[in-house]
Parts: sequence; C-alpha cells; structure tokens
Amino acid sequence: MSDDGAARLPRSERPPPIELRSMCKAFGPVVALRDVSLVGQAGSVHAITGENGAGKSTLMKLLAGVHAPDAGELRIDGRVVHLHSPAAARRAGISTVFQELTVLPNLTVAENLLLGREPTHLGWLGRGAMQAEARAVLARIGIELDPQRACGALSIGEQQMVEIAKGVSTDASVFIFDEPTAPLNRAEVDKLEALIGALKAQGKLIFYISHRLDEIFRLCDTVTVLKDGEWVATEPVSALSADTLITLMVGRPLQALFPPRAATPPGEAALDVRRLTPVAGDASASLLLRRGEIVGLGGLEGQGQREIMRALAGVLKAADCDIVRSARDARSAPFDPREGAVRVVQQGIGLIPEDRKLEGLYMDLSIADNIGLGVLRGLGLMRRARRDRALLERIAAQLQLRARDLSQDAGELSGGNQQKVMVGRWLAAGVDTLLIEQPTRGVDVGAKAEIYGLLREFVAQGGAVLVLSSDLLELIGLCDRILMVRGGRIVGDVPAASASEEALLALALADEPVAAKAAAI
Amino acid sequence: MRSIRSGISVYTLGLPVLLVVVLGLAIPSFLAPQNLANVSGQITALLIVTLGQMVVALVAGIDLSVGSVISLASCLVATQADPLTGVALALLLGLAVGLVNGAGVALAGIHPLIMTLSTMTFLQGLAFLILPIPGGQIPPSLRELANGTLWGLPQPLLWCALCAGAVALLLHRTRLGLHLFAVGANAHSAQLNGVRTAGVVIAAYAVCSLLAVVSGIYLAARVAAGDPSMGAAFGLESVTAVALGGVQLTGGVGSIVGAITGALSLGLITNGINLFGVSPFLRGAFTGALLLVAVCVQRRRSVGL
Repeated sequence: MSDDGAARLPRSERPPPIELRSMCKAFGPVVALRDVSLVGQAGSVHAITGENGAGKSTLMKLLAGVHAPDAGELRIDGRVVHLHSPAAARRAGISTVFQELTVLPNLTVAENLLLGREPTHLGWLGRGAMQAEARAVLARIGIELDPQRACGALSIGEQQMVEIAKGVSTDASVFIFDEPTAPLNRAEVDKLEALIGALKAQGKLIFYISHRLDEIFRLCDTVTVLKDGEWVATEPVSALSADTLITLMVGRPLQALFPPRAATPPGEAALDVRRLTPVAGDASASLLLRRGEIVGLGGLEGQGQREIMRALAGVLKAADCDIVRSARDARSAPFDPREGAVRVVQQGIGLIPEDRKLEGLYMDLSIADNIGLGVLRGLGLMRRARRDRALLERIAAQLQLRARDLSQDAGELSGGNQQKVMVGRWLAAGVDTLLIEQPTRGVDVGAKAEIYGLLREFVAQGGAVLVLSSDLLELIGLCDRILMVRGGRIVGDVPAASASEEALLALALADEPVAAKAAAI
Repeated sequence: MRSIRSGISVYTLGLPVLLVVVLGLAIPSFLAPQNLANVSGQITALLIVTLGQMVVALVAGIDLSVGSVISLASCLVATQADPLTGVALALLLGLAVGLVNGAGVALAGIHPLIMTLSTMTFLQGLAFLILPIPGGQIPPSLRELANGTLWGLPQPLLWCALCAGAVALLLHRTRLGLHLFAVGANAHSAQLNGVRTAGVVIAAYAVCSLLAVVSGIYLAARVAAGDPSMGAAFGLESVTAVALGGVQLTGGVGSIVGAITGALSLGLITNGINLFGVSPFLRGAFTGALLLVAVCVQRRRSVGL
C-alpha cells in the first residue's frame, strides 16, 4: 500500500478526524481530567456533557489549544499533533466557540468576525475585503447586523451570534461549541441549530458541550459523559433516554429537578411595585411579590424584563417608580431603588446578577470573603470577619458547597458552586427578598436542583424571590407564578402549576397570530 | 458609537479650542506669528512622544522611559561626527529599548510602571555618561530640518504630520493596529481569537520608543545641542497629554485625534502661563489641577460598559 493509502480507504476505515488518547490535565493540585479518551467521527454531532467540574470545558480547551495536556496524545486525522496556542489549533482546522464571550466591545462586528485571520497584504489590512467578507458571513448565517457597528453596542444575544458566526465561518474540519445557547433566544437557537445541521451535512465533526438535555437529544448523534474529570460513557444518543443520560451524568438516580411548590398560600406582600418605569418614555410595569412565593419574569430577549429587574435592584436608575416595601415585621414604607444599590441592599433586597464574573463575585477572593461581604456590610471599620466564622460555616453547609475549604478562591469554583456562593452572601446578609437573574446559567443538572432547592427553602422561611430566566421550563418548574413581559409591560400573570411552554410563548409573542408565530419559532 | 473605541468627546475636542480662544482674547501677543511658531515648535516634540505613549496606552501599558530615550537620543546625535550615524544609532537604541520594555512586560510579566521606570533610570545614567553637560555638535543640515520652512510651512508641522500620519496608518490600516485595540480591550479574548498578544505588546513599546527617539532628534536639531536632561519632563507630560486626549490608560480606547488635542492643550497651557508671566512653578500646579478636572468631566467608561 502506498503512503497516501489512508486517503483512499473507505470512510469507516479512515482515521477519525479527532482522537484523544488518555488525556490528563491538572491545575495545581486539582485534577481536571484523568485518562480521558475519545474519538470523534466526521459528519457527526458529538455531545460532551456532565456535571459541574466534570472536565468538559477543560477537555475542549485542550482541543482548542488553550491548555496543553499533562499527558496523553491528540491525533488529528491519525497524526499526533501538539497544539501550543489557539492560533495553532485554528491552523490545524479546529474552530472553537468559547463559553465566555470573546467578542471585543471596541471592535466592529466585521473586525470581530475576522480577528486573527484578517485579509491582509504584507500586514496591511484589506478593509474593503473585511467588510465584504463579514457581510457575506452574516448573510449566509442569516443575522441582520451592520458589520460597521461596534460590538459593545450589541445585546449579549447578538454578541453571542457574532461569536458563533465567527466560529462557523472559519474554514475548519472540527467545530467546538461550548454552551453556545445560554444567552440566546429561541429564534437565535434555531439559527444555531440550522448552522450545526449544515456543518454536519458537509461532513464536519462538531463537538457540542451542553447541559441542556433537550438540545442533546435534538441535535446530537453521540454523547460522551464525563464525571469528576473521568470518562463515564460514550453512547449513541438514540440508545439513551433522558433518565438514563441524567443518571450517567449525576451518577445517582434522577431526583426531581424542581422542589415541590409550597403547600401554603403566599403571605404578605414583600414588594408592591405599583408603577415602575425603568427607562423614560418606555412602558411602566406593576407587579406584586409576596413572601413565600417565587415569581418568574419571562419573555423574549430584550422585552424589558431585565430592565425591570435592574431598576428594582437600583443598578439601573429608573425613570419613575411608586413602590411599597414591607419588611418582615409587616411595616410598610415607600421604597425607591433610585437611591442606589447600597440602599436597596440595606432594605433587605439582594440581586444575584446574570454575569457573576463581572458583577457578582470577587473571583480572586476566598469563598469565606465572598460570603462574608454580606455580613460585613454596614458594620464598623474594626469589625473582624473572624467572629462570623461559625455563621459562614453554617451557611456553607446549607449551600452544600463543593469546594476544598472556605479559603478556596471563588474563581476556581464551577459555575454552580459560584452561584451558591452568591446565594450564600445574601443569606449571610439576612436579606429577605432575592432578585435573581438567570439562576442556573452555566450550571449543571445536579447543581441546578440544589440551587432550586435553596431558593425554595429561602421562601419557605418567609423570603420572596423574583426570578428572571430565559428558560421557560425553568420558570414553569421553579416558580409559583410567572409574569410574562412584552414591550416593558406585564402581559400575563400565569400560575406556574397550570402553565405550558406553548401558552407562555404565545403571551411572549403577541395576542393575535399566536399560532402562526409559535409555529414559526 | 465610534467613541467606544476613540474616546473622543466634546471635552477632548473643546479644550484646545477653548484655550486658543481664551489666550487669543486675553493676550494679544499670543497670535503673533513669532509666538505661534514658537508654540508649534514646542508642541511638536510633545506631540510626537504623546503619539507613542498613546500606542502603549492602547495595550493598557505606560512608558515612563520616553523622557530618558529623548535625552539619550539627543546626546547620541550631538556626539557623533556624522549626523546619519547619530540618527541611525539613536533609532537602533530606540528599537532596542522598546523591545526590552515590551519583552519585560509581555514575556516576563513585569508591571509596565516598574519595567519602564527601570529603563528610564538606566538610560538616564547612560545619557549623563555620554554627555555630562549640554553641548555637542548638531550639523546645519539637521538643524535646518527642525527650524526652517518647507513650501512656506514651518518644518515642525511637517514632523507632526509625518508622525501622526504614520501612526494613523498603523492604527487603522494594518493588522497590528487592529490587534493593538483587541489586546487592549481584553488580552485573553484576543489570544483565544488567535492574536499573538505578546508580540503585539512588544511592538507597541517598540513603536513608542522609536517615536521618542524621533522626538529627541527633533529637539536636538531644534536647540542645536544635545542635553542629557532634555527629555526629563516628557515621561509624565506625555501621560498627561494622553489622558487629556480621552485615551483610557486601561487599554483599548484612544485615537490620533485625542493624542493631538491632548498634546495641543498641554502645550497651549504652558505657553499661556509663560505669556501671562506667571511663575513657571505654578504651571505644574495648574496642569495637575486641570488634568484632574479634565479626566473627571470626561465620561469615563471602561471598555464593555
């Protein structure tokens, strides 16, 4: 047989586009991957799933050239390859859509799309060619964006679509998507799925990292489950049921994801928002949040639900408001979040923001410090956190944190544990009303159930929770009532127990041609 | 919308205009051709350094060594018999200093303040070693380049236009320019997109040092001598000018126009103080206060917010 015989072999005998053998990776003392092997076949969508800290992202970052493995080998088309940098991975034909947005806010859409592979001649940029190419990419993918716009002016969803467009438009044979759908709305998710379908039809290999079971079952051909950095199983998706997949991921039988709703009716009002106009000239919303209940805010992206949340938290300065706040002892007083976030917290209202890295946690501080911030708030300069050690220990136990100890940096934790630390901070502060955005973004199934449980426990003890989520199933499962927002107005107040995805979607869209639009989505 | 990238605001553009109007009205001699020629001569050196400082600020760096580079470049040019040798030596020196600064910051992970403070001190010593007291020889051909006129325009203007044009091309027409903005906004993201961040940072410092050399050569030609302490004030002045021009020291935001208006404002203030006959010591106090006010009025935004 000649040297290039491999190329002429029938497909099934050709070396796979990607083969990982016994990959190991540790970060300091923490082992992220232990002896993981994996084969990806051309023309298939291969899901990588598992709980928090299972090593999914680490595995993909080895493929993307971000990290170098400690041991093991990577074969591309049967040849052993060492990837030293993201640029090297790209040259080797691996294109990655990273979980964290890598879109740069001060660059235009076109510049972001082509960053790192700009059309150049001896270092000179072909600006015209860039525009044309960006336009072509956007048109092919079906995104209506002006390539000249600065990305910092786009919504998170739009930025994610730019990120995806950037990855997909690369001339590669292997594509990696790391939790791509989290910030996307339904229409955008559909676009992404169509793109992945097209790549698959072209015979590409797609690695798709996701926690979302519905996506895995809808999109993927094969699924590999990791747990605690080790390989658990690789199965054809068609051979699995949701329950068996979850059992593989969690390593224990599926408990109900959502805790049961409260048996008792909700109590007194905690926040009576009679009128709230987040942005001058826009619509006003009114809503009632009572003790003992979890209320959801839903809607299509950009319909004003986020602004309502942020205005209540005092992060966004509302144009106008009329709100009555009732404390635990049932004393009521006017409440004006425009006095600023610090005053809002002092009145017992805590915000858990969508972007934990930027607005929530101090990634370089320990878990104890991050939780302790809640306790230290408003105390004298000389107060030492040491006294609160017992409180911190108690809260950490309540949170079921998975961490070495309380001195571990928050930045080293998985998404789910970071979210628990955020909840813990407000528990320590004695807050009785929680405003929480996207409670389980970037959180795996196992930790999701625990976070839902924490929130349910919080309201059972007389707290109130307002949840913003773009995941309708989450709203239905977690909440007592769901408020649907459209155009800045609350257009529906639906008891979660009787809510269906279709009905909520209909509310989110419009009243009239509901059926037609819902079908189009 | 574009100001996400350029940092230009009404204040950056308005400050020099306001200064010209105020000075023009208050001091008749300000608009005299002699004074204008004088001012533009002074501002040219500052502008050229400021352009370099801006490039470094784009990648979230700061270069304090530019002052010493200016001094040393002037000494090198003034002590060489052949002006071409002097200029070539000075440019080589600038390249070397920039590469060392950049490598220290990008590869060894040294904080830019400490890295460039070290080179600043080191090079200052070298300058005094080469030329302990101001003096030396600057050939007439070189002097003519900084003091004469070309096509009826003062030569300094030509230096400004050439340097600003070159940096503008660099920023907006080359891949390196795009990468400077990308690395400054978020080095990690840029790297994930295949940008070689270390190389970009090193290039930024090299460009800055080279421009400082150009400024030093210009100054030496202008005063017809080398001076080991000629550039001492330029390190901090260029940072001030950059900040006045709306360039964010946190990286990713800046523009040629900002560098020009910043340098212009600072130069006009200096000239105004001289013309008013105020104590030169008050000039420092005034500049400091103005910087604080200017930076406060400008709506500060870090990239991404």
